Amino acid sequence: MNSTINRRKFLGTSASAMALATVPAVARKANAQGAGEVRVLVGGGDWGKANIDAYAKPFEAETGIKVTAITDQIEMAQLELMATTGNVTIDVVNINQGAALPAAAKGQLEAIDYSIYKPEELEGLVDFAKQPFGVAALIYSYVMVWNTETFPADKPRPTNWAEYWDVEKFPGVRILESGQYGSEGPWEEALLAAGVPADKLYPMDIDAVFASLDKIKPHVRRWWATGSEIQQIMHDKVADVMNSYDGRAGILINQGAPIEVNWNQAKLNWDYWAIPKGSPNVVAAQKFIEFATRASNQSVFAQLIPYGPSNLNAYKTIPEDIGRKLASHPDYITKSIPMNMAWYGEVGADGLSNADRLVQRWNEWILL
Amino acid sequence: MLVSPLSLLRRPQWLSLPAIAILFVAFGLPIAWLFLDSLAAPNYSLAYYKAFFAQPANIRVLFQTVEISAIATAISLAIGYPVAYFIARSSRRLRMALIVLVVIPYLTSLLARTYAWIVILGDQGLINNLLRDLGIISRPLALIYNRGAVYVGMVHIMLPMMILPLVSVMMGIDRSLMSAARSMGARPFAAFWRVFMPLSLPGVRSGCLLVFVLCLGFYITPASLGGLKDAMLSTFIAAQATSSFDMARTAAAAFVLLGIALLVLALFGADLGSAAGPGGTAPRRGLLARLLPAGLLRRIGESATPWRASRWKAELNRSGHASRIPGRLLALGAGLVITFLLFPGIVVVVMSFSGGTFLEFPPSSLSLQWYRSFFSDPSWTGAAWTSVRIAAVVALFATVIGSLAAYALSRSGPRLRGAVTLLLITPITIPVIVVGIAVYLGLVQFNLIGTMSGIIIAHTLGAIGYAVVIVQATLANFDTRLERAAMSMRAGPMRTFRRVTLPLIFPGILGGAVFAFIHSFDEVVISSLVSGMSLRTLPLKMWENMRHQIDPTIAAVASLMMLLPVIWMVAIYVNWQIGNRAARLPDGGDNT
Repeated sequence: MNSTINRRKFLGTSASAMALATVPAVARKANAQGAGEVRVLVGGGDWGKANIDAYAKPFEAETGIKVTAITDQIEMAQLELMATTGNVTIDVVNINQGAALPAAAKGQLEAIDYSIYKPEELEGLVDFAKQPFGVAALIYSYVMVWNTETFPADKPRPTNWAEYWDVEKFPGVRILESGQYGSEGPWEEALLAAGVPADKLYPMDIDAVFASLDKIKPHVRRWWATGSEIQQIMHDKVADVMNSYDGRAGILINQGAPIEVNWNQAKLNWDYWAIPKGSPNVVAAQKFIEFATRASNQSVFAQLIPYGPSNLNAYKTIPEDIGRKLASHPDYITKSIPMNMAWYGEVGADGLSNADRLVQRWNEWILL
Repeated sequence: MLVSPLSLLRRPQWLSLPAIAILFVAFGLPIAWLFLDSLAAPNYSLAYYKAFFAQPANIRVLFQTVEISAIATAISLAIGYPVAYFIARSSRRLRMALIVLVVIPYLTSLLARTYAWIVILGDQGLINNLLRDLGIISRPLALIYNRGAVYVGMVHIMLPMMILPLVSVMMGIDRSLMSAARSMGARPFAAFWRVFMPLSLPGVRSGCLLVFVLCLGFYITPASLGGLKDAMLSTFIAAQATSSFDMARTAAAAFVLLGIALLVLALFGADLGSAAGPGGTAPRRGLLARLLPAGLLRRIGESATPWRASRWKAELNRSGHASRIPGRLLALGAGLVITFLLFPGIVVVVMSFSGGTFLEFPPSSLSLQWYRSFFSDPSWTGAAWTSVRIAAVVALFATVIGSLAAYALSRSGPRLRGAVTLLLITPITIPVIVVGIAVYLGLVQFNLIGTMSGIIIAHTLGAIGYAVVIVQATLANFDTRLERAAMSMRAGPMRTFRRVTLPLIFPGILGGAVFAFIHSFDEVVISSLVSGMSLRTLPLKMWENMRHQIDPTIAAVASLMMLLPVIWMVAIYVNWQIGNRAARLPDGGDNT
């Protein structure tokens, strides 16, 4: 049982209940589907709008296949319910890798037909983007963020997680992400701070994680749990150095907030385009995903909303000032750490996944 | 109704059937299924419960949950009781105004209210900035992210829940009893303590139980205002429900929480409305209720009788003056509490006029842009209309069904009453996420997911709970001899109900209706499950909007949300007054 919630897009814990919302209402309309249609779950808000403008509309224009964009998002439980009830009403979903992996393991996702991809597009897609069950749709990251009033560019400032942990050398109020969901938390950062090399993080040593967290615990003013919360904290200038989703920091920087992103040791996570098994329009769905992962189309998308493309060739046409704000920029991706969600989902002999284990340890740790 | 109303009134127990039926089908069956699941059916084992208690963190958080809930309840009672007393003895006009003021904060959307507290208590918040500008502090005080902030947030949300049942019970107390006590030489405080207070205990009990069980299920407030340590069991349950679809494990934790609620209700007496019998028999109370200080103090008080007798002669000569100073203090206290209740709402309203793109207080400039963005967007106005319609129907259903049930229960034996009440309030006593899943599983059987009827049924379940508790509290003080008197004057059962019972318990019914409406109007977790992506209520639209950006549209919507039920309440109040005038019956506390 892996953690699936995608809090970059989710606001609060109670919204997570939406993770369980299902789609039988859509089911009734599904019968009306024609052959030349593809039903795509594009996500809500600006994200959904960007998906529609960059992918859905141009795809319709190019292929004549009608795209029904559903501005909502899907989580593992919904896939599970669709699969178990045999009532698949969606052709393309956009899901977090944490949700995609277990779904793929249970055989709930169609195999991606890579034969329809042009060689140069395949080449541009980063390695972890090309999975048998899905193609990465966008890349985002967890980054260190400086308050530039405390840590201006011309003064020494923490450049990596070991220095973030060094409260003597870099005094200041710290903010870190909460680990209550297990699958996302300050785990990798804690290990990096303890001197574990970036390529030796997985499998994570949970004892070492918490030993490292013990050291920083008294200095952390707030352990944030939602994207909107960290956004508000950065806006209110509550802290001197924090961690955040890159997109949330980007919004504030565009509004002129005195913060700056440190792209060193950024932790990468991503969403996949995938096709639920049993989709009524598999062929059209395959075409849609191929279309949505082309460099040219991802370039349009990245200019609408600050999420990094998975096809690095997109950067050839993204203006430099915008590209510099994206997690998968060629200069950043080399010094970033891709999250290994497969490790989080690994289930031990006791039936608990590593994410479950992290939740249990976290719950004990916070109450001490 | 197929059965004649006459026979229903003779055997009023049957009146609770609609409530039980709807609960059973849409909620009871699925919850039973979940319970079996938590017992690892079909093999049946306690493995999930063992696993739960095997984790020391779970046990610690369990104690912490009870502790936080108990303290929040105690604070709510300590603050709420005097305010309720003040409200109950105000003139009708002032009383209605005060009730509206008390209820308003409850109408502020949970989300906006939580932001408001961060804006007020935060390190760069209102209080800290003020103190810094005055030169009193140089570094921000830690007003937020600790236990104190959790209590501030929880008490703020729960006070209306405490005050309303108290007010409705206090209004049913015959004030001439106090005067009688005074005339017999009791000093104001003694008259209050020995006459009024014991009579108000049903309200205390139902208020405390309501607040306590609701607190048990809290998680958004502790999560957003508390520190790392201040987790509650629901925080764990919600994280679990979010991060894995292991229903059995989540259900086991939820049933542990439900178990605590049941235990507390058993200890303190589950019968929220213990109607005084014809002979004035003492209401049956729970184990601990029997040990409440009132009884103990009465015994201690007996020993002071001779002294009091001599006091009396002196008191007789200067009657009436002693109560003035406490009265003013009371008014001052009530004013402070109402300020506390309203302040976050005011902050939200002010922020909604922000000219900037962020929630900030005070706003750097003023504009109506966020209201424009609300009214010019059909998806916002459409969602608002959907919510209003749903909430109105829910309020109607829940009030009728819940009042019938409460009436029936007040005429039932204490054992039955306790059990059924407990049953009817389960949808508001267990963590909302579990309710949501159970209701989903129930509605999916009838193909009601994604329909308005589905959402209405889902909301009605919880709303019935509020209506039952509040109406029962009112009925507790209802003197059934009045009905007999009416019947002896040849009034039929229906006529008696319409002309005697109904007008007397109407304040309670009204309170129940308001809470039912609000319950539906602000509900997001259950709605998100049963809306099936095809219906957008206002809170759902707010969530969707906020996933990406926090702009002051939310504050504008929250301000409008506060406004709407206020209008609704005023409309009802006007109706009520007209109705009352026609009936020419006092509403209980109007003769002051």
